[in-house]
Amino acid sequence: MTDRRTLLKGLALIAATVGGVERLLTPAQAQAAALPLKRLTPAQARTLAAFGEALVSGAAALGLAHYVDDQLAKRQAENLLMIRYLDVPPPWDGFYSGALAAVDGLARIRHDVDFAALDAGQAAALVGEIAAGPDPAGWAGPPAGLAYFVIRADAIDVVYGTEAGFARLGVPYMAHIPPESHW
Amino acid sequence: MRSDAPADVVIMGAGAAGALFADRLTAAGQRVVVLEAGEGWALSDLVSSQIWARRLKWGGAPVLPGGAHPFGHNFAVGSGMGGSAIHHYASWPRLRAQDFRLGSTLGLGQDWPIDAATLAPWYDRVQAEMLISGDAAAEGRDGAPYPLPPVKVFAQARLLARGFAARGFAVCPNPMAVMTEDRDDRPECLYDGWCDAGCPTGTLANPLVVHWPRALAAGAVLRTRANVLAIATDAAGRATGLDYVDAAGERAHQPAARIVLAGAAVQNARLLLASRSTAHPLGFGNAHAQVGRWFNCHSIGNVHGLFTEQTEPHMGLAAGGLMSFADYGKQRESGPRGSITWGIAPAVKPNDLLGLAMTRADLFGPALHAFMAKAARHIGIINAICENLPVADNRIELATETDRFGVPLARIVHTLHPDSAALWEHALQDGETILRAAGATQVWSGRQRALGHVSGGTIMGRDPVTSVTNDIGQIHGAANVVVAGGGLFPSIGAVSPTFTVLALAARTAAAMIDERGRFAA
Repeated sequence: MTDRRTLLKGLALIAATVGGVERLLTPAQAQAAALPLKRLTPAQARTLAAFGEALVSGAAALGLAHYVDDQLAKRQAENLLMIRYLDVPPPWDGFYSGALAAVDGLARIRHDVDFAALDAGQAAALVGEIAAGPDPAGWAGPPAGLAYFVIRADAIDVVYGTEAGFARLGVPYMAHIPPESHW
Repeated sequence: MRSDAPADVVIMGAGAAGALFADRLTAAGQRVVVLEAGEGWALSDLVSSQIWARRLKWGGAPVLPGGAHPFGHNFAVGSGMGGSAIHHYASWPRLRAQDFRLGSTLGLGQDWPIDAATLAPWYDRVQAEMLISGDAAAEGRDGAPYPLPPVKVFAQARLLARGFAARGFAVCPNPMAVMTEDRDDRPECLYDGWCDAGCPTGTLANPLVVHWPRALAAGAVLRTRANVLAIATDAAGRATGLDYVDAAGERAHQPAARIVLAGAAVQNARLLLASRSTAHPLGFGNAHAQVGRWFNCHSIGNVHGLFTEQTEPHMGLAAGGLMSFADYGKQRESGPRGSITWGIAPAVKPNDLLGLAMTRADLFGPALHAFMAKAARHIGIINAICENLPVADNRIELATETDRFGVPLARIVHTLHPDSAALWEHALQDGETILRAAGATQVWSGRQRALGHVSGGTIMGRDPVTSVTNDIGQIHGAANVVVAGGGLFPSIGAVSPTFTVLALAARTAAAMIDERGRFAA
């Protein structure tokens, strides 16, 4: 049988060694502790956080980039990202790096800066362009609609998919077996 | 290659059908070994979270998409002990008499080799064992009444029922494999909507609750993380067991007198196609090139509305408390052919593919937050399960790419019959009419076509030239190899397949016990 504690370490939370003691951190805690990234570059993490924040406000502070980064380091069967449903062949690092490069590339075409440097109005307009489909002129990456859908789903998970997220909406969580931690 | 101790029966797949076979055959004193590629889940693994529940979905070898309407495999199919039934919605309607005769009534596909009356007593036995709630008279079906009273309904269902009444569509309790009263150490449902995340309480009849505890106690051997590579054959081409890679990565042969292929429908067909030998150059059981053909699924249409009233959408069951068979006829005066059932008032969570936020995938930023705040209290949802008509060229085939063991991956090639494409549009239009009649102030449909539930690829039939198995799932020309699951269905009807999968499995398992000689190699 699967050991649930082992799964917890490997899945929902991020394992880190702090002062010689292994701790489980939420994505937000991992981000606050500036935990080293496993798969994303710092620049990709910045873009992901900014793009996710434009999609679902609150996602950046809740550690979206560290969450996605940690999940990308898991084997396919343990991965919890929505992309595993969507019949995109694993590994998925390439999908994210391609999507984030395309987001930055579009921002540079329109505004001459990376996405993370856009103001809120510019970011919202660019997200609207990406969401509307088909691929905006100058988009170079996986299909823009799919990139929007996948990263929006990740941001929704982080903001709304947890016990704290339910609470923000006033929706009773009513767990039989609650997730180990409030994120 | 290591050779394991011989078994009477080796089963590939520990899902709903595999668990039933293991239970029945071990109880009859047979030595049973089950090879499962995924994890060995326990009820304690069924964490109440739509994020964590993704572990239960397909995590095996990639299944490649093809055709004009690619099938979204990974959401629909489970992984590990319990298979898809560990995260299914537990809505268990029966197929109806007309579902067995599509070939003779519509000239499409093939009739089933059995009729509704043949399967009825097996439905009855399974429902008595698994304990299903519902109201058979309200459904308008024959057969034994349900052993449990109907599920409770909440504000959302009561509001939506007004729309169905205005449309002239009768509704009935959704027949659910869910406890509506305490019985046999299984508790009454709490209606908290975690059904598809995996219900750990024992109220929902998943394989970890009913069949697996009995099978393991009776001596069934379950090997998890065991990837089956091929059906092993002797010089004459007779099946002698299954070759597999065990959890430690060692290749092994499991000899067995009889073999049950109870993996996911796609994996059963993939294994048959990949089991090539001199005696079986096109794959095992594929002398007439029928393995993989007649792949089918449902088109699912979701229609949503916002109400001024509170709808309590967090309460209830993920499949919805009510159902309608009013549009189940195969033919309409004008319009596309095929049956529709409506699921009414599913309990909904904020996130995941069927969550609140995905009902408006176009929204982001402040508009999304505003929508979520409103929808969490005021949304109403109905979903149409639309029958896709059978198409021979829709198929499971082998790709040139291979998995880490060198076995070719499966590709699903799927293009809807024109009537089926139109039926989904028809359902969405009808659903919007129903929502407005129910009093919704804002109505919209999910314009992304969802395809779910797998059938076909190893269909049953009377003619060995046009089907893969006979009416009890024996592969034509290979009496000791049995296929189980939705892959046997020549046509799919418009109801969730799990109950029919189990009724067919119960019928075949009984034959394997009572008529053992019929299953000799």
